[in-house]
Amino acid sequence: MKRILLLRGAELIVFAFLATIPLLVVNPYALGLLTLLAIYGILLIGLDVTVGYVGQVNLAHVAFLGLGAYAAGLVVTKLGLGMAPALLAAMAVGLLLGGLLALPALRLEGPQFALATLSFAALSTTALNELESLTGGAQGLSLARPPILGHVLTPPLFYWLCMALLALVWMLMRNLLASQWGRAFEALRDSPIATDAMGVGTYRHKVAAFALGSGLGGLAGGLYAFNFQYLQPQSFTYDLMIILLLGVVLGGRKSLWGAFVGATVIVLLPNLLSNRLLFQVFSGLGFAGALAAGVRGLVKKTTRPFQAMAPVAAMGLLVVGGLFVENTEDWRKAIFALMLFSVVVGLPEGIMGFLASFLAKLFRVPHAPLPEPADIEAILPPRATDGSPLLVLDDLKRYFGGVKAVDGLSMTIRSGAIHGLIGPNGSGKSTVVNVISGLYTPSSGRMLLRGAVLPTGSLFQVAQSGVARTFQNLQLFGELTALENVMVALKGVYRSPLPLVLLGLARLEERRAQADALCLLDRIGLKDQARTKAKDLTYGAQRFLEIARALARKPDLLILDEPAAGLAHPDVVQLIEIIKRVHRRGISILLIEHHMDVVSELCDVVTVLDGGKVIAEGTPDEVKRHPKVVEAYLGQPPQPDLSGGAAPLPA
Amino acid sequence: MNASIIGQMTVSGALMGLVYALIAYGFQLTYATSKSINFGQGELVMVSAFFSLTLMNLGVPYWLMIPGGLLFGALLGLIVERAGVRLALEQKSEGWILLSIIIGLFFFSAAENIWGRDDRPFPTPISADPIHVLGVDVTRLELSVAVGVLAIMGLVELFKRRTLLGKAFEAVSADRDAAELMGISATRTVMLSYGLSGAVAALAGILVSPITTVGPTMASALILKAFAVAVVAGLDSGFGVVLVGMFLGALESLASFYLGSGWREAPGLVLLILALAMRPTGVFGKATIRKV
Repeated sequence: MKRILLLRGAELIVFAFLATIPLLVVNPYALGLLTLLAIYGILLIGLDVTVGYVGQVNLAHVAFLGLGAYAAGLVVTKLGLGMAPALLAAMAVGLLLGGLLALPALRLEGPQFALATLSFAALSTTALNELESLTGGAQGLSLARPPILGHVLTPPLFYWLCMALLALVWMLMRNLLASQWGRAFEALRDSPIATDAMGVGTYRHKVAAFALGSGLGGLAGGLYAFNFQYLQPQSFTYDLMIILLLGVVLGGRKSLWGAFVGATVIVLLPNLLSNRLLFQVFSGLGFAGALAAGVRGLVKKTTRPFQAMAPVAAMGLLVVGGLFVENTEDWRKAIFALMLFSVVVGLPEGIMGFLASFLAKLFRVPHAPLPEPADIEAILPPRATDGSPLLVLDDLKRYFGGVKAVDGLSMTIRSGAIHGLIGPNGSGKSTVVNVISGLYTPSSGRMLLRGAVLPTGSLFQVAQSGVARTFQNLQLFGELTALENVMVALKGVYRSPLPLVLLGLARLEERRAQADALCLLDRIGLKDQARTKAKDLTYGAQRFLEIARALARKPDLLILDEPAAGLAHPDVVQLIEIIKRVHRRGISILLIEHHMDVVSELCDVVTVLDGGKVIAEGTPDEVKRHPKVVEAYLGQPPQPDLSGGAAPLPA
Repeated sequence: MNASIIGQMTVSGALMGLVYALIAYGFQLTYATSKSINFGQGELVMVSAFFSLTLMNLGVPYWLMIPGGLLFGALLGLIVERAGVRLALEQKSEGWILLSIIIGLFFFSAAENIWGRDDRPFPTPISADPIHVLGVDVTRLELSVAVGVLAIMGLVELFKRRTLLGKAFEAVSADRDAAELMGISATRTVMLSYGLSGAVAALAGILVSPITTVGPTMASALILKAFAVAVVAGLDSGFGVVLVGMFLGALESLASFYLGSGWREAPGLVLLILALAMRPTGVFGKATIRKV
């Protein structure tokens, strides 16, 4: 309760204060700046979706600002429509083109994504410049602010409109980003493969995130057009894009307040640069801050020397430069560069990232309370198992060039079984898992799940059809908490359509998801660390979390890919206990493992692979004695006089 | 439209395209060792060109200026590596993209203030008189660009294949961890690649300046097309960049002729977005298998 009061109270106070300003201040210049603050606020909230939540360097946002501005301008000047349709059109242009650009950019990561967006931005500037008959080209486009309901929009009225829209966007985005959507965006950033494998779908979430962010960019563009009432293609270039990035990074990523702080900085920058005294005060403060943080980091040894000293050097250069340079305005780009450099290196969390934890301590803001864990009987009701074939692999092959990683594998996993899959390194176990789970497309062969053909080559579709997996090389969503890792994968909980989520009417299902996820965390003994980020958990806990996350899919078949790899002995004991508990719920398990003791204790049936082919199948004891298995592991033919007892296998 | 004009446009476009190929080659060098590219590479081209111009104004002869310019470019490349790329790669984040943009911005601003915002001619002893070859006019200047580009790419490839240091470079490109275990310092190899990449960028600046003149914005269009070439060919495509570069150069020369000069950049950008959509690894790049 206290948390809600404090957080909502802060928002209410700020917006109420901003709303009353036109009544108190009559200075048109100040009002103009505040209007810009609202517009940039919307713009940066949009940019934060891609840069902060999805974690991609997006250089196209400025293009959506420009395209939105021109769309609004053209709707008013060429079609003669009013402001509301113009703003809608501006937003629609952003949504549509953003979605379109996301389609080819979907498969791209990092530099390629940045390049695709950069090209799009350059292309749109070219188009705005060259389509002269429509946009007026370099001459620019003038427009008048059309009246709303007969009222001429005076500066204060327009300011209120912008602020109202900012408040609306703020509320809707807060609801959206706190929901499954926001979690999915972040999951996407940390591991696209796992996002698909957990049935969340990278495809639609990436398009949605990009379209949404760009739509807000378009809306901000519409307001921009009505604010300046004059548009030029040169206004929407790379330079502005860098300033926008400065805003998001400096303000703090993944934070509405961060976007607000960033917008404030952007609006104040020109004044900062034109007033020498102000500039010197601020650069001096920046230098002192960087020095304090750097020395603290060095003494506490939390940062590397370079990371601690580089911001100090950059801010120092700013201070010294400020004393010698004649006109700071001439050096604005270098000044932006130095500021951005210091922030990216020295304060990667941004101002709000830093302030948030500080303020939370100061006001003793408690965490939102978690609900009681749900009942396991409700989440994973025990299923009847009958030993019928669950997953049938028939002559499955997967070749990589000339390498026959899986070469004609046939096996049947029966309902209710714990089926072991073992084999020496390079025998093709992991490839089998990757083919079943849809990461690789089989070269040939059939896979049947309960008699129906299992989709191939799509992690997402396989996950949807009831197969869940864990990863040998952990694919957790590192920046999400343990609880959120499980929540994001929960199946069958999130039913509310997007509009309800936006309006904040999906809280009930959110509580339910928390309760369900807590229950699953409880099963693996991580309930007390629900709020810990996955990347900060111990290695063993991370392995268990993978299992809990896969269980959230409520699968028919759970594939565990070397769950004991690298675990210490006590953890292995716990792991065996966890797997037994999962099995008791009637979930069939395919277990890929190296530890023979784990396999012996758990498995009903074991299939042994070598060179991509099955060399033996049977109970653990039968398999251990099988001459071909012994040969595959020990590399020598069994001696006839020694074959009386069970040949030991390496653990 | 008559064939000789089309031929003329194609040939001179393709020769310009070799400059894009050279800058793209610089991206390949750093991508090979560190999977990163310098988003501020255009500023390296521009600042190196200005520096070379200053050397000549100080009385350094053209042929002596070239090694000076290359060294300066290599130095800038090392600065980018140390101040931006290395730190971000240590943190395993995408922050290096931002940092390399930021450092480029700083260079840009510095150049604006040191050398001014105007475009300046770049003198060269190579004549700009056309020679008539197979019905097409080619200037010695354009030919010198082709020779310079192919020569430095050949030299770097020779260095990579024939010297011990070059083989270390190839080893780190192939498998960074394995190379480190064999006692090769990956950090130094990445530095080397950024140095080479900077020198390559400087040569691109020196070669192209007599044709385009020197100014702070000289590289902004150039760099976009170099990105396009690198991505369309594939960031690990080797000499694929030469083919794609010449193709793109010819294409945009024709586009600016038929659609108007404002659309000059468009084909490259469209090509780039299409290539990314269809074949993210590039036309000549190798497809990689995802492992989990």
